[in-house]
Amino acid sequence: MDIASLTVETNFGAVDWCIVVAYLLAIVGIGVYIRRYVANVSDFIVAGRGLGTYLAVATMIGTELGLVTVMYSSQKGFTGGFAAFHIAFAAAIVTFIVGLTGFIVVPLRAMRVMTIPEFYEKRFGRDVRIFGGLILAFSGILNMGMFLKAGSLFVMGVTGLTSDYHLKVIMTALLSMVLLYTILGGMVSVVILDYIQFVVLSCGFLIAVAMSISHLGYGNIVEAVAQAKGAAGFNPFDGEGFGMSYVLWMFFMGLVSCAVWQTSVIRACSAESTTIVKKIFKLSSIGFLIRFLIPYFLGICAFVFILGDSQLKPYFLPEGGQADAQMSLLAMPVFLSKLLPSGLIGIVSAGMLAAFMSTHDSYLLCWSSVLTQDVVAPLFGNRLSSKTRLLLTRCFILLIGIFILVWGLWYPLGQDLWDYMAISGAMYSVGGFTLLAFGLYWKRASRVGAYLALITGFFAVAGLTPVQKSLPWIFEPIKAILGIEQISSAVVGIVVLVLANVLLVLGSILFPDSLRHKKSLKEFK
Amino acid sequence: MVFWKLFWSIFLFLSIAAFAVLLIVVAIGGFFNILTLLRTLAAEHQQENSQDEDKQ
Repeated sequence: MDIASLTVETNFGAVDWCIVVAYLLAIVGIGVYIRRYVANVSDFIVAGRGLGTYLAVATMIGTELGLVTVMYSSQKGFTGGFAAFHIAFAAAIVTFIVGLTGFIVVPLRAMRVMTIPEFYEKRFGRDVRIFGGLILAFSGILNMGMFLKAGSLFVMGVTGLTSDYHLKVIMTALLSMVLLYTILGGMVSVVILDYIQFVVLSCGFLIAVAMSISHLGYGNIVEAVAQAKGAAGFNPFDGEGFGMSYVLWMFFMGLVSCAVWQTSVIRACSAESTTIVKKIFKLSSIGFLIRFLIPYFLGICAFVFILGDSQLKPYFLPEGGQADAQMSLLAMPVFLSKLLPSGLIGIVSAGMLAAFMSTHDSYLLCWSSVLTQDVVAPLFGNRLSSKTRLLLTRCFILLIGIFILVWGLWYPLGQDLWDYMAISGAMYSVGGFTLLAFGLYWKRASRVGAYLALITGFFAVAGLTPVQKSLPWIFEPIKAILGIEQISSAVVGIVVLVLANVLLVLGSILFPDSLRHKKSLKEFK
Repeated sequence: MVFWKLFWSIFLFLSIAAFAVLLIVVAIGGFFNILTLLRTLAAEHQQENSQDEDKQ
């Protein structure tokens, strides 16, 4: 049974459509209005570095608490049960430690860089910046490639619109609105809209959780998961569920999300001072926790709800098998559309769709500025004027928008969306983390070591299920030797991470930077 | 399993309570931060415009 044959009766009515349209038009209007405050590239990309603590926290959480996060997290809750909470736990602990120690983010802010590849140039040279920038942009754009699919499934689940035609029209319209206000407004409008998203969505979430508990009963939720999933539904170390390697990988992903991923780092770089950077990360640890935790819980509630619904159960929880990735993504919106009354479902959907736009605008801005500042501008010897850079950034935003529209509708997911996100992001973040950690804290880290780590990190692509399926002559012998049925994305990620670190150290020891190269870096600084 | 059931339940409710408090603090503080940001950017904009006029 697939999506096409699924009919969902939802509480989403005409009133809700009006709320959604009015809300979206209002936030686009605000974005366009704020354009008057954008004077230069710095205002466009890092809001003139004028973010106060609370606004920085709101915008950091607002960006990360997008519809896509809600969708992939609820899917993890649906498939993994309470054990999925360990991902939220890891994210919070790691973010708080980064806030306490200032690990990576404080020295980055002190260097006054706008992007991570800019750090590569200051530490390793211009060629490393261009190469690292290309990998970062490629990985980042691929990472956001599934956003549109997640968004479209949300619209499908909540509204009950099953026609493919309607869905494509809505998603194209949404993307057009995102492109409009991102191109016109830049970071100043992004931070203010993120703030609005943060407030609306957080309130919506808290109400949804309260209603879910009141409707299903907390004790019933726990017992239903225990009966259906056993110990694996609670214990993250249980081999039937996530297992040790997955938990370790999630701690690394927690560090990447807050300290290495460009959209988070750009917030640190936008802060008024290094003291505020630490404060932002300590406060945001609760946001990083909750952005996963509440959607996991809603996913668990969707699981329990569907378990007791004879009409939906065959679609989402077929006998003797698992639902495919698309169906488990659809579970939470279907549950919300049946739980929340008309009016409230409109507000929550508007918040979710606005969050979808908010995430898109932050990511579009982020990857387009990386392409402009870290790839094209250094190729021209940094002779591009501020106006040209602004124009280029806007052109890249448009091109990336077109790409994600095509990729989102075409790529066969084949695994949990979170695992796709983690592994596509790891193509950059494994190398990025290694370069940042060693580049900031180890004087001997060299250019050759940096190249080796970046290239090795790219091999994380092997964690994607379609890649493994399309290259059986590589992966089947490995599986046979190891005696396993499947190579999990967590194992691929950990192996690539260890290799990148080892190769950076070896490369730096065997091929240290020449005195001439070191001198040129000092001159640049 | 009993330990994990209890652990995740306490973890869930404590986290939600902490988030509710954070939401109130950040919503109020963030609003005032926005006013300051817009005032600063507007002042910078005005300064740049007056400098351009001086040059002309």
